[in-house]
Amino acid sequence: MHSTHSSPLHRWLALPLVLFAAAAFLMGCSKSEPPQSTPGGTKQLTVGVAFETLQTEYWVAGFEAIKAELKQRNITMLDAVADQDASRQLQQVKTFITRGVDGIILVPKDAKTCIPMIRAANEAKIPIVLFNRPADKTDAVSTAVVADNRTLTRDTVGYMIEQARKTNSKHKAMIVLGDLGDINAIGRRDGFEDALKGSESIIEVVARVPSEWNQEKAQAGVVNALQANPDISFIFTSSDFLLPSITSALKAAGRYKRINEPGHVILGGFDGDRTAYQMLKDGYMDATGVQDVYFEAQQSVQALLDRQAGQPVREVILDPGFVIHQGNLKEKAARMWGANIRSK
Amino acid sequence: MKPLSKANNLLLRWTQSEYLVLGLTILLVLAVAPFTPELISTGNLRNILSYMLPLFIIATGMTLVMITGGIDLSVTSIIALTSVIGARLMSHDGGGLPSSGAVLVMLTLGASVGALNGAAITMLQLPAFIVTLASMMFVSGFAVWLTQSKNIYGLPESFLALGQRLPIALALTAALALAAHLILHRTVAGRWLYAVGINPTAAHISGAPVRTITVSAYVASGFCAALASVLLTGRLETASPVLGRELLLDIIGATALGGTSLFGGRGKIAWTLFGVLFLTVLDNALNLLNLSQFSITLTKGLVILLAAVLDALRVRFHIHTPA
Repeated sequence: MHSTHSSPLHRWLALPLVLFAAAAFLMGCSKSEPPQSTPGGTKQLTVGVAFETLQTEYWVAGFEAIKAELKQRNITMLDAVADQDASRQLQQVKTFITRGVDGIILVPKDAKTCIPMIRAANEAKIPIVLFNRPADKTDAVSTAVVADNRTLTRDTVGYMIEQARKTNSKHKAMIVLGDLGDINAIGRRDGFEDALKGSESIIEVVARVPSEWNQEKAQAGVVNALQANPDISFIFTSSDFLLPSITSALKAAGRYKRINEPGHVILGGFDGDRTAYQMLKDGYMDATGVQDVYFEAQQSVQALLDRQAGQPVREVILDPGFVIHQGNLKEKAARMWGANIRSK
Repeated sequence: MKPLSKANNLLLRWTQSEYLVLGLTILLVLAVAPFTPELISTGNLRNILSYMLPLFIIATGMTLVMITGGIDLSVTSIIALTSVIGARLMSHDGGGLPSSGAVLVMLTLGASVGALNGAAITMLQLPAFIVTLASMMFVSGFAVWLTQSKNIYGLPESFLALGQRLPIALALTAALALAAHLILHRTVAGRWLYAVGINPTAAHISGAPVRTITVSAYVASGFCAALASVLLTGRLETASPVLGRELLLDIIGATALGGTSLFGGRGKIAWTLFGVLFLTVLDNALNLLNLSQFSITLTKGLVILLAAVLDALRVRFHIHTPA
């Protein structure tokens, strides 16, 4: 029935198998075992770092900052990225627990789906820190290191209002909202509204564009808002990663102008990414609220170590961040993660 | 020469075997376990099992659809919709329906969306790809609109237990898989499913109710997606309008990887189990090896591509494997 000669089909079918077997073996060989103890004889610490996604520059910068911080402290890092799937992230956290990590740093998909993950870490008595996204109210114990979204946005928008006042004219404003299921997006929206209080004579909000953290939705919303209100001259985006959508819409409307050019739209954002840095440098953007990713990484690792040592740690550690604008760009750029990515 | 021929022969028989993917899974475990013993620890095996059960349930429904030569892209949106509707009904605002009632509504809703998909495909004679793509967009948009992107939390313990207690989830999955297996191999309806997938015209001429069978496959797929939604929502303690959104490629990939043909007419529930097991173990093993997400995604993509190539080669060379 079966030929003993090697037919083309034999080779076709055998090839993937041979490749697979070789790949599986090499994968095993390639694994670098974390050392179990330091030269001094103390136990080598291992921390599991689970990110929901690495699809934006901010998360990549955060990931790299944590990696550098752990390396500096001679702590081994295991990492996992869930590709925006909360169920997969739960599996990854449980895998960390199985591997007996000494601590977990988690960037959850949202404030609620992370609660079973925190609970699993609590049951295994492994300290867990949430990086940049806090959990909802729960009896499960964790520490969250987050930007003070509301205050930082209020200060950023405050600077933008100052610039608006200098023009001696009233401005129509637009805010591009984030995903309002994300507590960070809510904080930024509230900070925007806080800043506007008392400035109603200068700023009138005519468009609140939902983006759900999606470039395409943001662009469509901004285009529509600019068509409905062509005289919008004040835009705040809840994240700098949406800036390409906004600039594209402004260019299409012939409104993308430098600060000293007539018709300039006062533009502010939040995060401090590479695009924002370039736009600030080129004079198209007025200000952005920078999340201090290095501070957050350092605090996250410190909180884990403190928890492990049994020391009291606050439930929420706030990153005050800073506003970077045309007046302090040179002075603050070194601390802006987007500027550092650019210079690498 | 003779021993080489024997080895060659064995290799060919193995590549044609329906246990090929299971064999690859064992090979993977044997290759990786010496370097990461955690792979075969009890805790990790429980972890793998609890992650793969919902995937297997959805893939079971997908297998039935793919055997008929179709595809169901709407499964992930059904997961999201049934998740938020079920949770809303159980919440105080939604009337505090008992868990059992909410689960019943979720399953009925999933099956109903499947029925609509099947009806549109058979009555309007539209490609399954387009119908279920449109359905995916509509249903997931509806789920987001319904909740205004907000997750629902605070679900009853009796509901959470379905997703969190492994024996319950395992029993539900096993019962569903057994039922699907028996339908495929012990009933006339099962034979009709294969017949529709191989050649719908010939199936119609020989008396198979092609429309009813096709619609039934999509109803089953919707039902399975809703059941998976129960487990996923319980596991995460949260109903979300984007629940399961990233699972689609894993589901189709695992089903195809198991050996269910993308061209219809061939497939088995056991094969799908092997496909899901392989993909889950691969994902877990690569994670344990501390490879980057980019490498993991690339590897999984390559493996799924290999499965598709194998499927195409089997069709091209008319290799017979038992249906």
